[in-house]
Amino acid sequence: MAPGEKIKAKIKKNLPVTGPQAPTIKELMQWYCLNTNTHGCRRIVVSRGRLRRLLWIGFTLTAVALIFWQCALLVFSFYTVSVTIKVHFQKLDFPAVTICNINPYKYSVVRPLLADLEQETKEALKSLYGLSEIQSRKRREAESWSSAWDDTRPKFLRLVPLLFFDEEEKDKARDFVTGRKRKVSGSIIPKASEVVQVQESRQVVGFQLCSNDTSDCATYTFSSGVNAIQEWYKLHYMNIMAQVPLEKKINMSYSAEELLVTCFFDGVSCDARNFTLFHHPMYGNCYTFNKGDNATILSTSMGGSEYGLQVILYINEEEYNPFLVSSSGAKVIIHRQDEYPFIEDVGTEIETAMATSIGMHLTESFKLSEPYSQCTEDGSEVPVRNIYNAAYSLQICLHSCFQAKMVEKCGCAQYSQPLPPAANYCNYQQHPNWMYCYYQLHQAFVQEELGCQAVCREACSFKEWTLTTSLAQWPSVVSEKWLLPVLTWDQSRQINKKLNKTDLAKLLIFYKDLNQRSIMENPANSIEMLLSNFGGQLGLWMSCSVVCVIEIIEVFFIDFFSIIARRQWQKAKEWWALRQAPPCPEAPPSPRGQDNPALDIDDDLPTFTSALRLPPAPGAQVPGTPPPRYNTLRLERAFSTQLSDTQLPGEP
Amino acid sequence: VSKCQGDKLEGQNPCPRQPIQGLMKGDKLEEQGPGPEPTAPQQPTEEEEALIEFHRSYRELFQFFCNNTTIHGAIRLVCSQHNRMKTAFWAVLWLCTFGMMYWQFGLLFGEYFSYPVSLNINLNSDKLVFPAVTVCTLNPYRYTEIKADLEELDRITEQTLFDLYKYNSSNTVVARPRGRRDLRDTLPHPLQRLQVPPPSHGARRARSATSGMRDNNPQVDWKDWKIGFQLCNQNKTDCFYQTYSSGVDAVREWYRFHYINILSRLSDTLPPLEEDLLGNFIFACRFNQVSCNEANYSHFHHPVYGNCYTFNDKNNSNLWMSSMPGINNGLSLMLRTEQNDFIPLLSTVTGARVMVHGQDEPAFMDDGGFNIRPGVETSISMRKEALDRLGGNYGDCTENGSDVPVKNLYRSKYTQQVCIHSCFQESMIEQCGCAYIFYPRPQGVEYCDYRKHNSWGYCYYKLQVDFASDRLGCFTKCRKPCSVTSYELSAGYSRWPSVTSQEWVFQMLSRQNNYTVNNKRDGVAKLNIFFKELNYKTYSESPSVTMVTLLSNLGSQWSLWFGSSVLSVVEMAELIFDLLGITFLMLLRRFRSHYWSPGRGGRGAQEVASTPPSSFPSRFCPQPTSPSLSQPGPAPLPALAAPPPAYATLGPCLSPAGSAGPSSSACPLEEC
Repeated sequence: MAPGEKIKAKIKKNLPVTGPQAPTIKELMQWYCLNTNTHGCRRIVVSRGRLRRLLWIGFTLTAVALIFWQCALLVFSFYTVSVTIKVHFQKLDFPAVTICNINPYKYSVVRPLLADLEQETKEALKSLYGLSEIQSRKRREAESWSSAWDDTRPKFLRLVPLLFFDEEEKDKARDFVTGRKRKVSGSIIPKASEVVQVQESRQVVGFQLCSNDTSDCATYTFSSGVNAIQEWYKLHYMNIMAQVPLEKKINMSYSAEELLVTCFFDGVSCDARNFTLFHHPMYGNCYTFNKGDNATILSTSMGGSEYGLQVILYINEEEYNPFLVSSSGAKVIIHRQDEYPFIEDVGTEIETAMATSIGMHLTESFKLSEPYSQCTEDGSEVPVRNIYNAAYSLQICLHSCFQAKMVEKCGCAQYSQPLPPAANYCNYQQHPNWMYCYYQLHQAFVQEELGCQAVCREACSFKEWTLTTSLAQWPSVVSEKWLLPVLTWDQSRQINKKLNKTDLAKLLIFYKDLNQRSIMENPANSIEMLLSNFGGQLGLWMSCSVVCVIEIIEVFFIDFFSIIARRQWQKAKEWWALRQAPPCPEAPPSPRGQDNPALDIDDDLPTFTSALRLPPAPGAQVPGTPPPRYNTLRLERAFSTQLSDTQLPGEP
Repeated sequence: VSKCQGDKLEGQNPCPRQPIQGLMKGDKLEEQGPGPEPTAPQQPTEEEEALIEFHRSYRELFQFFCNNTTIHGAIRLVCSQHNRMKTAFWAVLWLCTFGMMYWQFGLLFGEYFSYPVSLNINLNSDKLVFPAVTVCTLNPYRYTEIKADLEELDRITEQTLFDLYKYNSSNTVVARPRGRRDLRDTLPHPLQRLQVPPPSHGARRARSATSGMRDNNPQVDWKDWKIGFQLCNQNKTDCFYQTYSSGVDAVREWYRFHYINILSRLSDTLPPLEEDLLGNFIFACRFNQVSCNEANYSHFHHPVYGNCYTFNDKNNSNLWMSSMPGINNGLSLMLRTEQNDFIPLLSTVTGARVMVHGQDEPAFMDDGGFNIRPGVETSISMRKEALDRLGGNYGDCTENGSDVPVKNLYRSKYTQQVCIHSCFQESMIEQCGCAYIFYPRPQGVEYCDYRKHNSWGYCYYKLQVDFASDRLGCFTKCRKPCSVTSYELSAGYSRWPSVTSQEWVFQMLSRQNNYTVNNKRDGVAKLNIFFKELNYKTYSESPSVTMVTLLSNLGSQWSLWFGSSVLSVVEMAELIFDLLGITFLMLLRRFRSHYWSPGRGGRGAQEVASTPPSSFPSRFCPQPTSPSLSQPGPAPLPALAAPPPAYATLGPCLSPAGSAGPSSSACPLEEC
């Protein structure tokens, strides 16, 4: 015998595996009900009377059903959160503050680039609305240009002509350059098909954008001519600026020394060196205070306007681009150091000749990510490539998604957002129909047809500064007499003109108090809580425990099926025996067994004893003899009858 | 002493000391052994089992209960009767745990029925419905149109100003000398200069209850004068002065008071409001870079704030949605803010008034407005917040206002403001008999006018004091709505139009709208309203103790102290039911045996005894009933087959244990 066999035999001898003791399922059930600790079951078998028994079966099943129902409720409510709000009083990190002039580039510097466009815009204004030239200086310039105008047909208006639309005949438009009527092909859908009938002239202005083969066109009309001109101008402006290299653009815009006249932080003077340059395509040079470049983030030790950031900004309205921006002032945005400042979306405007006080209140929010909510920690699981050099946020994701679609569909990137790798900005030299494509895509984006809103998920933690803005006239009449000359003298290196009240804006940004509110989500349930609730439910209805559950599994899933299997096996054996030896029904000469549980032998699971065909244990009694120790045997036995196939061998 | 455990299942625990039992079993075995169906003999016993069975005696019942109960302490307490010490000990323990459990239960139920709520803050980010935006012109009527109606009032006002402050208006009216007598006759409630009341009434709106104020008291210093007007009740018995410390306030309030009267008189005759005036007020309107159209706004007229245009209200065919935050994805309006046609004494503010509110809420421009300066581009960024309260037992809020005892006069959703205004109007109509013009009036009630209701001013100001101190009960009657959406606004300002662009912008606007802008910034304003972020917070309440947690806590406590379950309680209930049933049966039996003839009584007793066909105990712990009982079926057969002398020996089986009354009383009954 191999050693392996020996060990197997030994195991078989010492740890005999027997099947369930009950011969039938009914007996098994009865045995289970009598012996289990689960309440209710015992009553089913010990109760007398059918009604009582039925009632007890009903009670027990109801209790089981209730347990399942309540536990299901507990499981489904497992992923809920509870929120804690903490208010700390501590020294707070000052946020990054990005300040931009609303006008991107000094008009005097950028004008040569935009000269043609300006000329054509003026022409358009003139012919559309009969605007006369306003200033004599401009008129002179215009005359010089208009001579050139006759030579060449205007390229901007040729590319995207501004058109008049008559309310009466919608499909006819008048090209104001040529004056001839032309049929508008395509549909006038996207921008405003129904127009507010504001103007008595019943004429609306718009422009037409066509795809490459000019078969598919869309006309954009505007209820107000101001908006139409501005949109049209902006379109061409982006085209032109897309071709200008970044260094040149930075040079054309305002320098930090120019924009920031004075600077105070936490009672200490600061200057342009504390500001980091950030070039925004639509707002030019912006300057970020406390960007945390050299890993030091400034913090305030006190609340109140004295301890925050105080700057005086120089806003030179003379240098404003008249068609691109119509309002004047500065924009400021307060954000986290690693966050991208979406100045065009959420900036707060600062008015000139005013002191704007912005009081901040910090709120931090932390959400729990999967499986509690759909938020993302760092955007790594969002299938959108972050084209911004900043931490993930929902807005970054949306913009990145749009830009990616733009590159995919139109072949070039939109100017006001960062450039994805291996793409360049749109201009109509290379991408003649990008404008049409862009407008279509933007429309689809707003109507959520691009799927960006579905893909992008919110960030799990964010800081927000609740702002309270208040205004005051500044400088006051008496103080402006000394203030303006002093500032003029201070800034004489950068600005060689006498400062006016409307050239300056004062900005104060400060913490209202140093209370930081943190809103934190915590799991409302833990595994221990769930288990103890389970325990409570099990105990309440049936006084059951995990052991009971294991017992149920053993009885109902293991024993149950093994009994069925055994009976099937037995039947099959009988059938086989009948077929083999039809004349001899008492086929197995197996001796009668007696009720000693130790000697129970299952056919399917032979024990060591049965395998070796050993003689029965000496304690086995011969039936028929008076059983003096009968009752002791009875007590050990669980079942009244013995299976015919589990009887002991060697019995006569 | 081992008891007879006859009530166990067949074969499980037969009376151990009865050899006859063993024999019986042996017989059975012999019968069943070779049978292929081992459960066969049990089948008939189940069939003959009655619908409901009772135990034959209390003793039996208690024994059955003690053997089968699942209540932990009870087993020891009830079932260890032979050891008094132990019983006492277990009784104490049982009482202690019982007390502990019910104490804990009390705490748990107390917590649950105090309906605690926990506040949840959800941070959502979603596509948002753009709220409704109402913009008002701040001037109710073109002065030129209403001048005829206001002429008299204006003349008198100027005269009063001249009298009180020696203010000489450029108007020629004042130049005409006019006695004060005439004025008094023309308008009731004239403005008067009054002496300052004693400092105890130092509030801004001091009221003196009596009409004891004298008109001219020459010796007092100028500073101590107040200005106000007198209001009296119907029969002039009670009067008070509505006084103001500032003359500007007094004149404005006084003018407003008279203006209300004129308006209510004119409300039916006024020329229909020109709906198409939108173009005169709003030069350009864009949302999400798309021009607005007719369907996007609705118009209403406010008696003080003038023509109001509500964009994106509930009548809008498809509501504006914001899928991106930012200034380019919001509402942008260019407004005309000229004030050349303003009513001089009423409209002291120039610009426009804007309000952001929910789609189906009325715009209370008084309560939550935002003024826009002319010549400035105002960018209002919004952040949405939603609050959901739990109604019902958890808090005092109302879902739709149907359960609030105030009739909603507005055709809009229930809000607390709507309710409070309706409540005030209701009290006004009830107490003064007319409706206040700023609130809607129900059918069949007319607006207040002192020509018809000459004391309404007295009534109104009295009512307002009552209202402010909540003597009207409006604030208690009006419950909070269960879900509230609010918009937190913050504004930024920049100059508009800029110096370089203003020429073409003004030219363009004037050209397009056939209307001359005087090249001044004061004539125009720009307004942008947009979502700052699409993240919004939802504060919602949820029950902090739900039924599920309550039950599982109860279960935990129960298991901890008792180890019993709901089914154990059912067991107890069954025990009590059985006790009652047995008592009833025994009383019936005794009644029969007492009042019937012995022979018939015996039969009756037999019948009663057989009504609960308790085949079960009779089989296992054999009782001397079998021969007399008319029990059919094979179940008693083994017992019948057993040798009869066993009966005698069986007797002591029960008797040592069953020393208590019920069983001994039951047994003889059955024997006889």
